[in-house]
Amino acid sequence: MDKIEKEQPGYIELKFGPRWKYIAVVRAFIQNFLAISFTDPTLADKIAMAVSELLENAVKYATGDDETGVSVKLNSEGTSVIVSVTNSSTPESIASLQSNWGSAMEGEPLAAYIKKMQESAVRTDSKSQLGIVRIRYETGAKMSLDVKGNKVTITLEHTSK
Amino acid sequence: MNKLNIEPITQGKVSIEVKDTPTGVAVVIVGDIDMQDPSVLLDPLFEKIHTGSIEHGFKTVEANVRQLTFLNSSGIKAIAKWIMKLPSVPADKKYQIKIQQNKDITWQATSLQTLTFLVPSGVVIE
Repeated sequence: MDKIEKEQPGYIELKFGPRWKYIAVVRAFIQNFLAISFTDPTLADKIAMAVSELLENAVKYATGDDETGVSVKLNSEGTSVIVSVTNSSTPESIASLQSNWGSAMEGEPLAAYIKKMQESAVRTDSKSQLGIVRIRYETGAKMSLDVKGNKVTITLEHTSK
Repeated sequence: MNKLNIEPITQGKVSIEVKDTPTGVAVVIVGDIDMQDPSVLLDPLFEKIHTGSIEHGFKTVEANVRQLTFLNSSGIKAIAKWIMKLPSVPADKKYQIKIQQNKDITWQATSLQTLTFLVPSGVVIE
């Protein structure tokens, strides 16, 4: 009689020096990793987009050469995923992120996204401040921000319905 | 060359070409926009298209993103910035932006429609 082994939860962890050119590589790797894990191929695209946006923030606001960490964990059924991105940042950048986070999480996701796009369109600096609100709207994931000293961790939890 | 004399652009993983259409021009964007600051590339381009469209009295400008496989949030900002110029155009010079999408590309299926809420009469997705 064939023995059917229950699959263990899958995960990957990556650490890299904060370089812009690595972001697309990590995005593609995570998209491929998730595409073989989920039955819904669009979910892999959405989570990969989210990781890419978080890495853009991490690299833009990283301090020195401190490493940026990415962790992706799946449950054994492949129906839920937890993604975390961790990096070091300056107090000024952390304060800016916390402010942006607060407004990105206000109200309904679509309304918050549109409001942020309107605000972004009149910004004169190179910041968009759209990454967090975009992730919230496009993925529908539960999101959390954790700051410990100069370490910032953003976590997404997505469960397929 | 197109009516606005805008040269084709290739930078990093993206190429952009402006083509003539019967009612205006089409800007065709192909590849990935994931550079650190796409506004350096996109803001001057969209400004040229915007001012040129008003000067020439175009009725529509097509933004063909059917082969744009990735667009980061800084790129979305650049498109939003272009769209937000529309309300200040005089009534007799108004043009409509028609965004031509590919629903098989996930970010387009989820994000493009949101751009129509910025200036509802000024943008359509097709």
